[in-house]
Amino acid sequence: MPSAIEIDHLTKQFRGVLAVNDLSFEVAAGRVTGFLGPNGSGKTTTLRMLLGLVEITGGSATFGGRKYVQIDKPIQHVGAVLEATSFHPSRRAEDHLKMVAVGAGIPVSRVAETLDLVGLSDVARRRVGKFSLGMRQRLQLATALLGDPEILILDEPANGLDPQGIQWLRTFIRHQASTGRSVLVSSHLLSEMEETVDDVVIVSQGRLVLQTTLADLSTRAGTTTGMRIRSPEIARFTGLLAASSIAFRTIAPDTIVIDGATPEWLGPVLAQHQIVVYEVIHEKGSLEDVFLNLTRGFEASLPGGGHAPGSGPMGGAPTAAPAAAPPAAPGPFPGGPS
Amino acid sequence: MINVIRSEWIKLRTTAVPWVLTGIALVINGLLILVIFLRHDQLTGGDSIPHTTQQLNNLVGSGFQGYLLALLLGVLCITTEFRHKTVTTAFLVTPQRPVFVVGKMILAAIAGAVLAVIMLVATMIGGGLTLVARGGSFSAMLHQLPSVAPGMILVFALFAILGVGIGSLLTNQVAAIIVVLGWFILLEGILVSLVTSAEKWVPTGAALAASNLTRGQGGGNNGGEVFHLFNQWQGTLLMLGYGILFAAIGSYFLTRRDIT
Repeated sequence: MPSAIEIDHLTKQFRGVLAVNDLSFEVAAGRVTGFLGPNGSGKTTTLRMLLGLVEITGGSATFGGRKYVQIDKPIQHVGAVLEATSFHPSRRAEDHLKMVAVGAGIPVSRVAETLDLVGLSDVARRRVGKFSLGMRQRLQLATALLGDPEILILDEPANGLDPQGIQWLRTFIRHQASTGRSVLVSSHLLSEMEETVDDVVIVSQGRLVLQTTLADLSTRAGTTTGMRIRSPEIARFTGLLAASSIAFRTIAPDTIVIDGATPEWLGPVLAQHQIVVYEVIHEKGSLEDVFLNLTRGFEASLPGGGHAPGSGPMGGAPTAAPAAAPPAAPGPFPGGPS
Repeated sequence: MINVIRSEWIKLRTTAVPWVLTGIALVINGLLILVIFLRHDQLTGGDSIPHTTQQLNNLVGSGFQGYLLALLLGVLCITTEFRHKTVTTAFLVTPQRPVFVVGKMILAAIAGAVLAVIMLVATMIGGGLTLVARGGSFSAMLHQLPSVAPGMILVFALFAILGVGIGSLLTNQVAAIIVVLGWFILLEGILVSLVTSAEKWVPTGAALAASNLTRGQGGGNNGGEVFHLFNQWQGTLLMLGYGILFAAIGSYFLTRRDIT
């Protein structure tokens, strides 16, 4: 599959801070790629280097082999929505787009078209200073779409959107992809994007954790399961577990979770020891959990080094997390019933 | 480049800055006309009206010191991009940052020239009406226009270019305004009074030479005495040189600057 964007050993050193560290990945043409990582993991810096706004310390970031500054009339090829891009508050929405269109040699008739596309036609003559955050995001999208670009780069576009806005954004992005555009969309929340993206690139602390397809990530999510048990006899049950060296997490006074356990294992155990249960839930790890585990596990693995990106964090981390904490990392269930 | 300049024109006219500056310019222009007549009355005891070539020159060029507003226009048209972070969009549209600076310089030069024309027209109307009302000759005043207007228009354009140059180097709007006003209102005068020979080298001296007017214009406080300035071409080139120098240094740093 041809690539739309190539990030090759990209590095950015701000004064004393290594914001992006030898990052390499590709964005496939015609697909929606989620660029995911916690806040401060170097996503914005990477996108800004790609767009020629931030100087590259090492490596390269290109569109089909060409740097952004080398592209003639760049916004007719690459549309970008960036965080912290602002508007002049006293400028009208329509004038903002007109100024960009004229500067880029795009027919001014596109202004009304794109305003219509993002649903801002009614407020075209309003000053941007009066716009809500959601409206500004839409105006940013309109700006990105002015040149009818084949590549869209969206940095945290869901920030500041209400649930309807996010739903609208998802549909919007899928629509862009269905018309053949390549989309690179960043987010610190996978859940925001999991219905939208085809591929995922996960970064943490400026380094690549994992590049894969969403389908693959879902498979991984399906394997991180556990059993949640609420019981009036929880003390007796945990005593049995401890005696068998089986790890569990206490999430409420009468509720525990056994990571990695299956219904097929748990049922016979409960029957054998005649434990009364009020509630048994087969917990399936969400994509968000996988994402969090990947990035957290990656961060934990960093000082020691040695872990290949994507391989280290899936196992190994201790399972006896403090009560009521979210799962730190789902551990493999040791051995099954004795 | 044409697209960049046209885009800059849309940017300029869709903010309040040029209109507010033009408004201020017109108010100041009115006051300066008033000052010219009052001073004239003071000097002549009030029994004559401006009629000599020099007096009429002073009247036509009464808006001359509005060049400071042209300078501010230049400073504001670039620093406002940084203040409101619209520079991100600007650099996405025009990734070659020196092109962005040059586009602004050209547009600022045109805008500065237009400001000079507006002030000249206002002077011809306001000053002309006052003159005629007091029994003076409007045609005599009009006769002086060709000797004043080109220099004034040129100087306004040069100051606007200088403003963009300074703004490209000092992108913090408040800092840039403090520096240019501090220099042109205070420091330059102090420097010239300490080192007289510096006069023809400082921007105001260079601009004055470029205007081909005598010191008597505008401020009118030296009674038309010609100072030892460069000639018109030298002054124009020096003034342009300052603008280009600042813009070149500004572009150098701007090109390496991270827009975050």
